[in-house]
Amino acid sequence: MSAARVDERERIRFDAADAAPAIGFLRRLREGLDAGLDLPEAAARGAAGLPGGARDAVRRAARRRAGGYDEDDWGLDEEFVELVFPFFEFLYDRWWRVETSGVVHVPSHGRALLAANHAGILPWDGTMLSFAIQREHPLPRYPRFLVLNWAFDLPVISVAMRKVGGVVASPYNAFQLLEEDELVAVFPEGVKGAGKPFRERYRLQRFGRGGFVEIALRTRAPIVPVAIVGSEEIYPKLGDAPAVGRLLGAPYFPLTPTFPWLGPLGAVPLPSKWRIEFCEPIPIADYGPNAADDRSLVFELSERVRETIQQKLYENLVKRGSAFL
Amino acid sequence: MAGRRVLITGVGSYLGGALARRLERDPEFEYVAGLDTRRPQVSLESTELIDADIRNAVIARLIPPAEVDTVVHNQIVRRPGPGISPQAMHDINVIGSLQLLAACEKADSVRSIVIRGSAGVYGAEPHAPQFFREEMTRLFPMRTRFQRDVAEIENYFETYSRRHPGAVCTMLRYQPGIGSSQDTQITRYLSLPVVPTYLGFDPRLQFVHEHDALEALVAAVRNPVRGAVNVAAPGTIGLTRMVRLAGRPTLPIVPPLFDGVTGVGKRLGLLDLSDDFTRLLRYGRATDTTRLVEEVGCRPRFTTVEAVRDYLRAQGGRRLLPVLRHAVAP
Repeated sequence: MSAARVDERERIRFDAADAAPAIGFLRRLREGLDAGLDLPEAAARGAAGLPGGARDAVRRAARRRAGGYDEDDWGLDEEFVELVFPFFEFLYDRWWRVETSGVVHVPSHGRALLAANHAGILPWDGTMLSFAIQREHPLPRYPRFLVLNWAFDLPVISVAMRKVGGVVASPYNAFQLLEEDELVAVFPEGVKGAGKPFRERYRLQRFGRGGFVEIALRTRAPIVPVAIVGSEEIYPKLGDAPAVGRLLGAPYFPLTPTFPWLGPLGAVPLPSKWRIEFCEPIPIADYGPNAADDRSLVFELSERVRETIQQKLYENLVKRGSAFL
Repeated sequence: MAGRRVLITGVGSYLGGALARRLERDPEFEYVAGLDTRRPQVSLESTELIDADIRNAVIARLIPPAEVDTVVHNQIVRRPGPGISPQAMHDINVIGSLQLLAACEKADSVRSIVIRGSAGVYGAEPHAPQFFREEMTRLFPMRTRFQRDVAEIENYFETYSRRHPGAVCTMLRYQPGIGSSQDTQITRYLSLPVVPTYLGFDPRLQFVHEHDALEALVAAVRNPVRGAVNVAAPGTIGLTRMVRLAGRPTLPIVPPLFDGVTGVGKRLGLLDLSDDFTRLLRYGRATDTTRLVEEVGCRPRFTTVEAVRDYLRAQGGRRLLPVLRHAVAP
């Protein structure tokens, strides 16, 4: 018998040994089903002989399938966040090569309001902002981000948003979350930011009526301005088809180099290079309880936040250099 | 001080009967009357039953002589069912409330009216705040008939309480009830052999356990507060999670076809989902219960998740056989 033959046989035996746990799993699964167990329960029992990682994965899937998971009152599912962690990690490290600075400015406990620039109809900037805090912060926490209402009309996306900490952009929600001492991220540009054309990238739009400042003043939450560079190149909006947008109930219908020409592939964001900078918090506690009614103060603070973000955007654009390389 | 005198409408419903039984055993209440055309589901000892239809003007003659100080309006129908067409439901809800108010106008003894209304008045909306507070009723347009009816009823009682500053109207806005003694939309839904859902949607739902539903009524009778109060179990549960806990197979349907598919099911007599409930299955709704706890003084014993679990436990855990089997058994 030649050496190659022996090798071959060894390899086959090795493969069989490798597959044994899987076959055992299927056998036990079948036995469980025959004994009248539900699929999740049978799968969980059958997983006993599998190697550690696979066993845990099957058991977790079986448990979730049977409803054994928690969502908090706002719909955030921590286990789900952990499950999608590798995907976000890939986006963060490989796809967008995010560099984050100043994350210490995010308070590790108590209420705070993060205000960032915004672009693109899918809230990737919100998820990356959230992920940056979980990855880089010494005491990570889940920020809740206020998402453009329209995203909550969409199937699947609305559920995913809610499970990773997105809530409907309603002042009531922001107010209540801050009262509960949560970390809240807002995009004060709102729909104007999401719909701005490519040539106006990184030029901050008007900050609405300054509602976010009013809420911060009322709840006495410090405002942390955040500059996100990179998010405004992922869906370069070259044109708009408002008629189609109205038909779909969307605020606008973007035309990008890939969307809608490539169909669902057009929803894949471009791999621009990102920088996220958290700026020094703007203290709110010095103002009295009635400060929120002071229109001029609200506008002044809103303008200050806007200028801070704008300036940091320019700085980071220079630091980043080329947009995609 | 003499004991209190209470009239309960809709005493033939589960909650109406349970409330009557509870109050007649309480020494604080010397007289309890129940108005309904149906027989109560529980045996009542001293409750005086008034057999009259709430839609009929005759109640304006029957109620004043009872000299009650408190009226509990518990006859608001939440869903059309066997024997109750949508039209009859509208009549009972709107005309019935008007007749009851007309009767209250004639009875000078009335000091407080407690209404078991519905949180359906908020609607179910994708852009809704995560927790509705009592003042947030007019954020969205009215979309279903039931919602408009509830809003109309709320209006009547508001007007009444403006005109009679001496009487306190408490509008309890109930989230859908869940519990093993009750037959509600949600218990019916969870008993379906296959549960239809909207593909790609997983709304946050909120319920009230039947135990807490009764406690809230009792607390509001004891301690009437002016205006609206949400009645719900704290917290929410995702629809998917609830259906999984119930061990039910689901039938996810793409949204544009949902009405068509459930419509076929309805024609075959398999299921009957109201418009409000259908919207709830897509967008969900949750309310803030601070006012119930702090002002009415009723602290719900069950959270929403516990209420669902308790109901499922009472059903014998996972019921794998469809309910239809029960009908076949002798």
